[in-house]
Amino acid sequence: MMGMSRAGLAERWPLFVGAFLSVTLGVALVQSSLLLLISAATFDPPAGLSAAERMEFTDSTAAVVSMLGIVLGIATFLAGFIISSTFAFTVAQRRRDLALLRLVGAGRGQVRRLLLGEALLLGALGAAAGVPLGLVVMSAQTWMLRRMRFVPENFTGEWQDWILAVSFGTGIVLAVAGAMVAARRAARVRPLEALRETGDAARVMTVTRWLSGLIFFGGALALIIVAPHGGAAGGPAMAMNVPLPAAIAAAALSPLVVPLLGRLLPTGSGVAGVLARANLWDARRRSASVAAPLIVLIALVVGTAGAGASFTAAGIDQMRSQTHADLVVETTGPAGPAIAAVPGVASASTETSLPATFTTGHGEDAETETGTAVVVDPAAYAAAHSTGPLTALHGRTAAVGPGGDVPSHGTVKIQLPGLDLGEVPVVASVPAAMSGGDNALLPPGLVPAALLAKADTLSFVTLRPGTDQAAARAALAHLGTVSTTDEWLKADAKVRASTNDKIMLVIMGLGGLYALIGVINSIVIGAAARRREFAEARITGLTRRQVIRSALLESSAVTAAGILLGGVAAAGALLAALTSTAAVTGHGTLSIPWPLTLAICAVALLVTSATSLITSWSATRHAPITLLAARE
Amino acid sequence: MTRADAAVTLSGVSRVYGRGGAAVRAVDDVTVAFPRGGWTAVMGPSGSGKSTLLHCAAGLERVDSGQVLLGDTDLTRARDGELTALRRTRIGFVFQSFNLIGSLTAAQNVALPLRLAGRRPRGSEVRETLAAVGLADRARHRPRELSGGQQQRVAIARAMVTRPDVLFADEPTGALDSSAARVVLDLLRHMADAGQSIVMVSHDPVAAARADSVVFLRDGRVVDHLAGANAHEVADRLATWEAAR
Repeated sequence: MMGMSRAGLAERWPLFVGAFLSVTLGVALVQSSLLLLISAATFDPPAGLSAAERMEFTDSTAAVVSMLGIVLGIATFLAGFIISSTFAFTVAQRRRDLALLRLVGAGRGQVRRLLLGEALLLGALGAAAGVPLGLVVMSAQTWMLRRMRFVPENFTGEWQDWILAVSFGTGIVLAVAGAMVAARRAARVRPLEALRETGDAARVMTVTRWLSGLIFFGGALALIIVAPHGGAAGGPAMAMNVPLPAAIAAAALSPLVVPLLGRLLPTGSGVAGVLARANLWDARRRSASVAAPLIVLIALVVGTAGAGASFTAAGIDQMRSQTHADLVVETTGPAGPAIAAVPGVASASTETSLPATFTTGHGEDAETETGTAVVVDPAAYAAAHSTGPLTALHGRTAAVGPGGDVPSHGTVKIQLPGLDLGEVPVVASVPAAMSGGDNALLPPGLVPAALLAKADTLSFVTLRPGTDQAAARAALAHLGTVSTTDEWLKADAKVRASTNDKIMLVIMGLGGLYALIGVINSIVIGAAARRREFAEARITGLTRRQVIRSALLESSAVTAAGILLGGVAAAGALLAALTSTAAVTGHGTLSIPWPLTLAICAVALLVTSATSLITSWSATRHAPITLLAARE
Repeated sequence: MTRADAAVTLSGVSRVYGRGGAAVRAVDDVTVAFPRGGWTAVMGPSGSGKSTLLHCAAGLERVDSGQVLLGDTDLTRARDGELTALRRTRIGFVFQSFNLIGSLTAAQNVALPLRLAGRRPRGSEVRETLAAVGLADRARHRPRELSGGQQQRVAIARAMVTRPDVLFADEPTGALDSSAARVVLDLLRHMADAGQSIVMVSHDPVAAARADSVVFLRDGRVVDHLAGANAHEVADRLATWEAAR
């Protein structure tokens, strides 16, 4: 049977090149993301750091690790989705070949083994190419992480010998799993189907398709419903995950929708348009296979980036509405008394931020988080940030800060650079901020002045009514950098938005590229089986131009339908973002990244059009009669 | 003819496509026996149900009522696995459109049924079968390097390599020019003379006249029999039944 697998490989090469590519790229992406994650998690701080720098290092490493965790999750999702759908498509495209085998005596088990053997071979070959490609991808990802300053310059992705097992396992398991369902179905093909000239008469909406579509639809719906109850941290996490199940659901149910949407689209009344519409309806399986990676691409990029931008915008809005001050002074070390002494200053909330570790639980259950603690004047802080009164925050106590991650009651063990505060009772909490922030608030007096002297400090200054702001600003400028609250908020928002953009680029960049290649793959695989169809159309009297035009119209309609369905899946994430931001900040925020959305749609349309132009042009290169006469 | 003389027996076989008002009785209560060691041609106007009859007789198509016996084996009751086994051992197929596997050489195509049956074919076995169809020198050619007549002879060799009880042929000369068709018909005649049971569907009186007997089908029913007729007689009879529509 393996000999036949090999012979099969040689004949239908575009199918197998497509399947091979999907494995290679998927394995490369997963391997690179996993190696980077491990490297970041085990990255040691450089020698000679102070205690404070060491804690900051640990904190930023934790952030990079969680970001790379998401990158790995998305890479694995995409690899699973694209590899399995590509393999299923290649099997579906060969129904007639398989029926022929059944006709000359192949049993169902033999057909199944043949297809699984192929998947095994392609999975292994794809992984073999994916491992070295993964190293290239890793250096690209590392370069991106370094350039965006998520990791220090000396960070490198480390090779691990065991990754070979993981990569080959990933390639083979995903390929075989993808082929498995399709192979079971293909093995049931009736031998008589070999005698029909047109293959693929099979039902497209199988029970498996319905089931997976509905299950993932339910999953997406559940995330959308629960997200508003997830709070400042859980809500975004859930909303950002909506695109994954929503995309699978939309892709699974797409054969129902794609032809319908395609019909609604203007394809013209010419003969090419009529043929394109007829093909959309007739080849639902093919249309769905092209649309699937597109749906995932649009849902993932637009949904995740849109939700991310919405949460960032909500955080900025929240901060703006809660901050009450005229000027912001940035100093090194607390400058409270000096600021208060400046003429015209009514009050100032001076906030000195220190890296800290927070430990909750004891013994084996102990959990340590790295973050920041901020030393505040409780009354001034409450006034400047419109939190409730913080009168209980004095002596040896702490309050939960806007960044959360600290238990809201009981005690927490707090360690500052070079100072162990021990168990500190948590006596109050301020509302969680959408944009995060310090994890704990500490009252004055708990931390020795020496420790605070070199720490970054922000002072939110309120002036007495009627004070000349310019004069106050000039006086404060002797103490540190002064900006109006508006300027400071704008600068802060800019930093946050750009960080969000960078994170999205790291998370989506290569994944999006992979999904786009998946789209190209499906078109090429779909076109491989169409030479005969094109030849028949030309024999009927269509010119080569008309055939290509019709193929182009068809692919544009499928692309548009894919974009629409992907948009619906993305809308699920945006809806969750809207309701979660409303739940946390009081009013819903929606920020749709239109330039990105339009750009990705344009790229998708361009890529599908170019691919189908090239494939249909190449499939109609020879005179149609040579194809129809020399039949096998 | 008793059942023992028949290679394939159809008793009261019907096959209906569609339902209700749109239902088409492609095969309508047909009872016919195809003799062992003889070559029977099935003729009829297009749409008469001759291909469906052949598919039912070969166990490729489910029947809605009636019984199909291959020798003593009831095909209507056979499960998929049994039908598969029968296709490997007792049934051979030849079709109008050859249906060879393009990536395999002629010899590999011929050896395929044996390999699917789990046997490692002996080289001599395949060579002899190809030699029997006059293609000993084309063993290493792929289908696209062969003419239509040669491809059809490879298909016949593939069907014959398992030494089947019955060879089913659906318009085997339909895609061939007259000289290539003659070579294929000579080959089938030679096989029938050597005792091979053949059931062939054709619309070509020249092809049908080479068979031992001809069964005429119209609207899914057997309407006539002819034995030992020449091409003119077959054509006349076919024209009669076509005109009677």
